[in-house]
Amino acid sequence: MATAPGAPRALELLAGAATGLLAGAAVVALEAAQGMTAGPSALPEAELGVAPLLALSVLAGAVFAAVFRHRPGGLAATVVGGLVAGFIWWVVRSLTLLPLLAGEPLTWSLAEATAAFPFLVGDLLFGGLLGLGLHAFVSLYLRLRPAAARAPEPKGRPPTRVVVLGGGFGGVAVAQGLERRLAGATGVEVTLVSDSNYLLFTPMLAEVASGSLEPRHISAPLRAACPRTVLRRAQVEGIDISARTVWLRETATDPAVPLLYDHLVLALGGVPDYRAIPGLAEHAFALKTLEDAAGLRDHLIGLLERADAETNVEERRRQLTVVVTGGGFAGAELVAELFDLVHGVLHHYPHLERGELRFVLVHSRDRILPEISDGLAAYALAKLRDKGIEFRLSRRVAALDPEEVELDDGERLSTRTLVWTAGNRPHPLLADLPFTRSRAGAVVCDATTQVADTSSVWAVGDCAAIPDPDAPGTDYPTTAQHALREGAVTAVNIAGTLQGRPARPFRYRSVGMLVVLGHQQAVAEIRGLRFSGLTAWLLWRGIYLAKLPGLERKVRVLLDWTLDLFFPRDIVVVPPARRSADLPGGRDQLERAA
Amino acid sequence: MNGAAGRAAVLPGALAGLAGGLVFGAAMVPLGMLPTVASLVRTDAAAVGLVVHLAVAVALGAGLGLLVAGQRSGPGETLFWGLAYGASWWFLGSLTLLPLVGGRPVDWSVAAAQAGFPSLLGHLLYGAVAGLVLALARGRGEGARPTAGVVLRGGLAGLAAVAALVVLLGPGFEPLALSIGMRGRPSGVAAAANALLGLVAGVGFALLYPRPPAAAGPTLVRGTAYGFLLWVVAALTVVPLLEGAGLTWSVSQVRDGFVTLPGYLLLGTAVALLHRTVGRLWRLLFSGPAQRGAEDEGPGARGLRAVGRGAVAGIAGGLLFTVVMVQIGFLGTVAALVGATSDLTGFAVHLAISVVIGASYGLAFRAQTYDPASGLGWGAAYGLLWWVLGAITLLPVLLGGTPQWSAAAAADAFPSLVGHLAYGAGLGLVYHALEARFSPWWLTRSQLESQRVERRREVLLTAAPAVWFVILLVALVIPVVLAAPAGA
Repeated sequence: MATAPGAPRALELLAGAATGLLAGAAVVALEAAQGMTAGPSALPEAELGVAPLLALSVLAGAVFAAVFRHRPGGLAATVVGGLVAGFIWWVVRSLTLLPLLAGEPLTWSLAEATAAFPFLVGDLLFGGLLGLGLHAFVSLYLRLRPAAARAPEPKGRPPTRVVVLGGGFGGVAVAQGLERRLAGATGVEVTLVSDSNYLLFTPMLAEVASGSLEPRHISAPLRAACPRTVLRRAQVEGIDISARTVWLRETATDPAVPLLYDHLVLALGGVPDYRAIPGLAEHAFALKTLEDAAGLRDHLIGLLERADAETNVEERRRQLTVVVTGGGFAGAELVAELFDLVHGVLHHYPHLERGELRFVLVHSRDRILPEISDGLAAYALAKLRDKGIEFRLSRRVAALDPEEVELDDGERLSTRTLVWTAGNRPHPLLADLPFTRSRAGAVVCDATTQVADTSSVWAVGDCAAIPDPDAPGTDYPTTAQHALREGAVTAVNIAGTLQGRPARPFRYRSVGMLVVLGHQQAVAEIRGLRFSGLTAWLLWRGIYLAKLPGLERKVRVLLDWTLDLFFPRDIVVVPPARRSADLPGGRDQLERAA
Repeated sequence: MNGAAGRAAVLPGALAGLAGGLVFGAAMVPLGMLPTVASLVRTDAAAVGLVVHLAVAVALGAGLGLLVAGQRSGPGETLFWGLAYGASWWFLGSLTLLPLVGGRPVDWSVAAAQAGFPSLLGHLLYGAVAGLVLALARGRGEGARPTAGVVLRGGLAGLAAVAALVVLLGPGFEPLALSIGMRGRPSGVAAAANALLGLVAGVGFALLYPRPPAAAGPTLVRGTAYGFLLWVVAALTVVPLLEGAGLTWSVSQVRDGFVTLPGYLLLGTAVALLHRTVGRLWRLLFSGPAQRGAEDEGPGARGLRAVGRGAVAGIAGGLLFTVVMVQIGFLGTVAALVGATSDLTGFAVHLAISVVIGASYGLAFRAQTYDPASGLGWGAAYGLLWWVLGAITLLPVLLGGTPQWSAAAAADAFPSLVGHLAYGAGLGLVYHALEARFSPWWLTRSQLESQRVERRREVLLTAAPAVWFVILLVALVIPVVLAAPAGA
């Protein structure tokens, strides 16, 4: 139990009881001398004789010792603590219990207090003597047995180690859930491994790409989100299931170090899936990290700067065309935000005209936003078309080079910016693991988010293929709201496994979906209710602001949005730091900005 | 403790006891208590009584020095240890041992307490002076030195506190009259006297706490206890002496002066609050990150969670208070706050108030309770503070009347006081239970257990238990002794 230094609990109780006896005897004697132990104002227990009174005192002493424990050097605190206990005991016994036992109404009136005042003095004396005696007894014991004052040796059993790989929504949900469930336990250590020291709030990434939010405002420090978790900022090099070891590498040049685990949670997330289309991996932009979003914004503004001075018409058109692949939530939001960005800062560039700007969304199906209903999807398509965004539906990208993109029907769009949001696949590390994987590449799990046929490995989020009982044969979609709740259930199940309780299956029905489509436009579907336009936009902002982790971030994002109302978007581009090759460990970095 | 540390503690303590004894002895002369003391050695002469008294004072002072040897030094801490010590010795010595040694029967009834009330005030003064001198004699320890800036900020805080209170209570009500003697004076004189009182209160508090502790709640409660001390020193002692009325320490005189006590309590609390606010603002604006400690995370950090926990704890305390309220039939009065009369409305209003006050407790006292005892102590103290501010001040004012501060009104409101104490105790305990698993937040689980012990030890080096004791004294002893009819 407690590993606190000091006298053993039993001794404290004994000292309290002994002191209670002595102090009680003294106080009872004084009370008897005043005639307080007989007569109408006496306590009911006094009528039974002195022995029950003393027995009560012994009990009170033991209780006091249990609550106001001995503190080394805290003589004054213990004595005064006893006095305070005497006050409280007087209010509870004389003013409350006594009338209750006598069957009288409880009034706590001054007259009652006046009549009971002598017992207050007695209780105060009793409490003070208790504190004094307890402290004196225990201090004497510790003086005679100094060995007891040292902290006892820690137990030989090492703590159970839970390792969570990945600091995204799923991983942080697991860590926070474990913190809550294992709050008082000291035999478990939870480690979170992430390649960044922050939790990225991905729904607002498109707004960072368009410059309406600052990058740091949508990221919460992991150490603040999970204060009781050990955080390791490192890349996962490899996982050795048989040896229950994870290999970590702090930076590219450091050696790999092992991290042992008893329970492992895979929450590594996904990476863009370029499907071996030529040119994508080298030239396409992704939108998965803060660097992606900030880099995309810098790239676009850099292109505007170049285009403003560009004399070649062909080249200028290429610089002012933006192609986004993928008509899901990320793609639709991004193309609308980038549209607003470029149009919002256009007035700074005198040689550019609106007609020269071109935004194209390429989608492989005939309908964008597949997860929401037909009506809302059609509405969204119409609204985006009205803004001036072009669509290439039922088309795919066939090849990409720095100057143009080729679609599968042969059309070529000349552009210097192609953003890929058309597909993710689970983290490549999963391919090396000896687990069954789904067609998408995620690890197959059972309903409790535990990896099939294991007892100590769990998976959440993009890494996991968890069967959906409401749609048999399919898995839960890989969205942030699913990852959050899967993480919470995994935490419950891991805590349950450690404490001997059965695991709970994961079951979740999506609450709703919200898509923002640029300036004050959005569509939302919440539990069957549909919203569009300004209402949906306010809903989107309100709901996602509430989900943003941390009060400070909420305030900062709210400030950013408020300032956006009054001030134009910023076109300042800060190129990434260039280190000269002479500096140790430095290397030249290519700049994407102009 | 070993001999050297013991000697190091005894000598300053004896000096402090001598100083306190001189002050108490000076008060004993006009009160005519010296012959009683002299009877300990079977004589009647006042001079012998003085010598005996001083001897006892020195011995008790040495005891105080030994008792608080391990506690944190600094006048703000030893002052409260001294107050608690002095008050305890009134119970132990004056009410119990003195009659025993003098061969008289021990008498703990209220009548005896009323007869011995001047002695209680004397003991409190003794304790306060001994505590302050002890701090000086022991050296400042780790406390900050009071600079001119600190004194200036304290004075400003005091003046602002008086101004705020006058605005709150209205010019028509003269509660901050320095003493009852001020009642008849022209308003200009009274205003000047109040300003002087505020200045003295502010500067005094600043000297006690040059660097107020980071937590708001304990500072507030310390201010309340400080207000009580101010009342004893100023309203009951210094001002009557200056006005030539002599030492007005008898129960009947103090009962008349009881009406100024709530004002002083509120003044002390306001001074503490403003001093802390001004000090924190100063540090926020002008001190760098290196000077701020680990606890200075900023007002926004963890606040939401504390508010939530406090609100839940407030409900728990409020339910406890409801039991009292139902018994004394108070719900109708609470309902009158919103213009209704039904008990159910009163219950709803009462719960709403409990939640809000509980949330404020959470904000003020987060990370300040390390075991159930401290939760109980701070909570009960907060309950008393809200009795003074709410039940006898704001409630009557909101219902269209004036603050009910007289001794008779306080006697009528005594059940409400018990209810407030119960509310506070429940609030503090439940809040501690909700917070205990997660505080302090920056430690990993493996460090937690050892740190928990360390923190408990650390917080008990402050005078917090003494502050709780003084508050409970103000709450339970003073009203009972003063408001009970004479000869009860």
